[in-house]
Amino acid sequence: MFKKILFATSATEVSDHAARVAFNIARSYNAHLNIFHVLGVPSRGFSQVVVDVKTKERVDVDDDYMDWVKEEVTTYYSKYLDNGLESSITVTVGLPAREILRQAKDTKPDLILLGGSTGDEKDSVYKKNSAGSTLQKVARSAKCPVLVVNRPAASFWGGLSNITFGTDFSKTSDKAFDFAFKIAKALDCELNVFHALDIFSLSIGGILPQDDIEQKIREKLRTIRSRYETRLKELKNYSMEVLEGIPYIEIVKYARDNHSDLIVMAHHSRKIKSEDANLGDNVEQVIVRAGCPVISVNR
Amino acid sequence: MHTFLTGIFFWIALSVCLIGMLVRFVLYFRGLSWQLDRVAYKAHPMHGFKGAIRSIYKWMLPFGTFGWRTQPFMAIIFFGFHMGAIFVPLFLVAHNMFLESKLGFSFFTMGAGLADFLTWTTLICAFFLILRRIALPEVRIMTNFHDYLILFISLAPFITGLLARYQVGDYSFWLNLHIFCGEVLLIAIPFTKLSHVFLFFASRAQLGMDFGIKRGGMKGTKMAW
Amino acid sequence: MPEGKYCNKTPVETPEEVNFLLSDTSGNTYYEEMESLDIDSDLLWKTIQNTFKSRLKTWLEICAHCGMCAESCFLYQVNNRDPKQVPAYKIQSTLGEIINRKGKVDNKFMRHAMEVAWAQCTCCNRCGTYCPHGIDTGIMFGYLRGLLYQQGFVPWEMKIGAGMHRTYRAQMDVTNEDFVETFEWMIEENEDEYPGLTAPVDKEGADILYTVNAREVKHYPEDLAEAAILFHIAGENWTIPSAGWEQTSLAMFAGDWAACKMQVESVYAAMERLKPKRMIGTECGHAHRATVIEGPYWAGRKDGLPPVESIHYVEWLAEALRTGKLKIDPSKRIKELVTIQDSCNYIRNQGLKDATREIISYIVEPGYFVEMSPNKEHNYCCGGGGGFNGIGIFRKQRNKALITKRDQILKTGAKLVLAPCHNCWDAIRDLEEEYNIGIRWSFLKPVIIKMLDIPDHLKPEE
Repeated sequence: MFKKILFATSATEVSDHAARVAFNIARSYNAHLNIFHVLGVPSRGFSQVVVDVKTKERVDVDDDYMDWVKEEVTTYYSKYLDNGLESSITVTVGLPAREILRQAKDTKPDLILLGGSTGDEKDSVYKKNSAGSTLQKVARSAKCPVLVVNRPAASFWGGLSNITFGTDFSKTSDKAFDFAFKIAKALDCELNVFHALDIFSLSIGGILPQDDIEQKIREKLRTIRSRYETRLKELKNYSMEVLEGIPYIEIVKYARDNHSDLIVMAHHSRKIKSEDANLGDNVEQVIVRAGCPVISVNR
Repeated sequence: MHTFLTGIFFWIALSVCLIGMLVRFVLYFRGLSWQLDRVAYKAHPMHGFKGAIRSIYKWMLPFGTFGWRTQPFMAIIFFGFHMGAIFVPLFLVAHNMFLESKLGFSFFTMGAGLADFLTWTTLICAFFLILRRIALPEVRIMTNFHDYLILFISLAPFITGLLARYQVGDYSFWLNLHIFCGEVLLIAIPFTKLSHVFLFFASRAQLGMDFGIKRGGMKGTKMAW
Repeated sequence: MPEGKYCNKTPVETPEEVNFLLSDTSGNTYYEEMESLDIDSDLLWKTIQNTFKSRLKTWLEICAHCGMCAESCFLYQVNNRDPKQVPAYKIQSTLGEIINRKGKVDNKFMRHAMEVAWAQCTCCNRCGTYCPHGIDTGIMFGYLRGLLYQQGFVPWEMKIGAGMHRTYRAQMDVTNEDFVETFEWMIEENEDEYPGLTAPVDKEGADILYTVNAREVKHYPEDLAEAAILFHIAGENWTIPSAGWEQTSLAMFAGDWAACKMQVESVYAAMERLKPKRMIGTECGHAHRATVIEGPYWAGRKDGLPPVESIHYVEWLAEALRTGKLKIDPSKRIKELVTIQDSCNYIRNQGLKDATREIISYIVEPGYFVEMSPNKEHNYCCGGGGGFNGIGIFRKQRNKALITKRDQILKTGAKLVLAPCHNCWDAIRDLEEEYNIGIRWSFLKPVIIKMLDIPDHLKPEE
């Protein structure tokens, strides 16, 4: 299923949940894990000075310093790195999203795993004037699925048995379906296809009677059937559901109720939002809220 | 003494000054190098010429440039000093009578009242220029003996001239001293910082050409001096 | 010890040498070695005799010590009006002294001169416009830097920068392959959104040859993507050269004139090889100055012009907006107070003030644009020009220098600063980091892309 995983991490506590998942997946599928750490953002024109992401200090980056950071990362993950896990550690300097994408371009992983946010926006070194978060940029441009673990609650990866796939019937969603389907088939787990009817966009111009809503729900269910059911039939367990509400909340709720251990969604936010990431699109909201890892697929 | 000062010494002083200025002026422009200065003077003569004229003209107007406007006090004492320093020697009646007798030509002349006024203005402004040199740290730090010397050389003819004009004590003594100081000034012009009386035009023209050719002139932007 | 291992008079020319110099963390040993570096007075004096001619000689000579340049210098203002920061004093006490002493100066003097040349002057040339005699101290400092570089008294980063140009013909270790590959990568990333997006490499006879700053390739490739997108939307016939794509010149900041020549000749060679109608460079100030304004002279071009007409990015943008090649959706115009940073290198030094303001007129809702004061050709340096941004040992002085720009921005009340120059952009970012005044800053490309009215045939199919 996964042969090469790129795990982008700050190598600090905020990435611990993601690390657990990363090492778990790598071990479960005998994948090669590339631990990738962007140690700092070059901030001094063409000088050699960068602001270290961990210490927040200005440092001169040279080979010694890189080696030292590599050592630090190794120590940080030493408890996972024993018994024969195939892994490598890469340390670099740059803007995280860009460097992650560059590494992905060069190493072509099957999955990119992003660590948690570096926390407080104000002091975060990574965020300095990067329009949009690392997540938005990577999710938008990566050529492989991107798995994000945001909440600690999402990090208990005990293997996969139940996947929720949230669709909005876009082209990108079809891609995301292909991916979800592939995993479900390979790992023999249950796949729940879910669509949330956005009641806010429906109720513009007046409150919609429940009859109309349910009518729409039936229509959407038919769409799901026609789009996905032929292939779903190849799986042992699957389900299809449409509910009304605020889409990202409904998806999170639905995944929780179904004890899903993975959510797969399409990321097709075209433009990178520079201002408030909280108003980002559904997948980003789901990532922030979900109780399980979320994989975003864009192509 | 008087004969010597108005005779041979006058001729020496005048020739040294004029020939000196001419030689230095020519040497200046011959020494300009398109490659060292990084200004293609010869390739774009019209742009260069326009830029040069503009650069000189703007700076000769009181308050004509940002520089003058941001330092109004300096602008006033600067122009006050230079107006007298240029007009009085050139257009004083006595000077022109002397010129007429020596060279057979004279310039337009100004009335005695105006001449007095300009002379006093020059002296007062010079006083402030000196005061500025002493009082302002940013000027004091650079000021050296040479700066005071040339101020002295350029003021001496004015002071002695006034003393002669008001006939304080021995008129002929002051007159001779005045003539002597004036001739020393003429001689000093090509060899000291006083060379700015003509090199000002050269240097301003050069920067004007720089802006007129390289720094925007050929893009159609006239430098807002 | 006359010549050090790291600090010496020999320029850096190969990747090994660059790496060796880089391996000296912060240049600590480099600066230690500098303390015992000998001065080759004969060479220094010979160089001066060959190059110190009319213009510079007269400037030094007729300086009336009037101090009118003092107030024009932001470094003088920001350092509590320290008389030692008066431009005329700075140059008289350094270059002036070297001339007075006929090149017989000692090590301590040279190290002092280095500090003055790189930490007390950004070569912004503002003082030159405030001197009644037309004495441009910035130009003299450029000259002094050249002498100091020759003698090995040059900040560590500057020596590396010049060495990068000598080695890679780029200011960073970015190869030609890296450049083309990165451009292609960016096209790949964006072609879904902009169908038909390409970055034609080495196309002969294109209308536009585009050149960049190596930092974009190394750290901000989005900038390359944005350039491609804007040319694409504008329907331009453009190309990038597979060699000679680097427009910047840290060698110019370093005073390494030989490297300047090598660098700019690589760009001119691309022009001659590909015969484009015009060359356009990225949103960078010193790059434009190096390649378009000063470059022709280094390359020995008597007409003072590059081989093909070369314009700054802001000139192209203004033109594209004026001619309607790029259309702005009026509803997306900037509707908050916004100001613009005038880059010394192409505003004061090439008069492009109207181009940036024309762009503003298209992208900012009327009434929301605030000028800094002073502005246009009288604007102050961002605080990081002339290499100041990148020099570690002068960081403190640089941070202080940012105060002028900080206060200028604060006075406008704008929270958004447009900075179409890499150096200014960096300095403004750093001043936000240093002083936390709550501003945002941007190049023009990303701002304009967000508000474009894209013709239907260029939109992706949905």
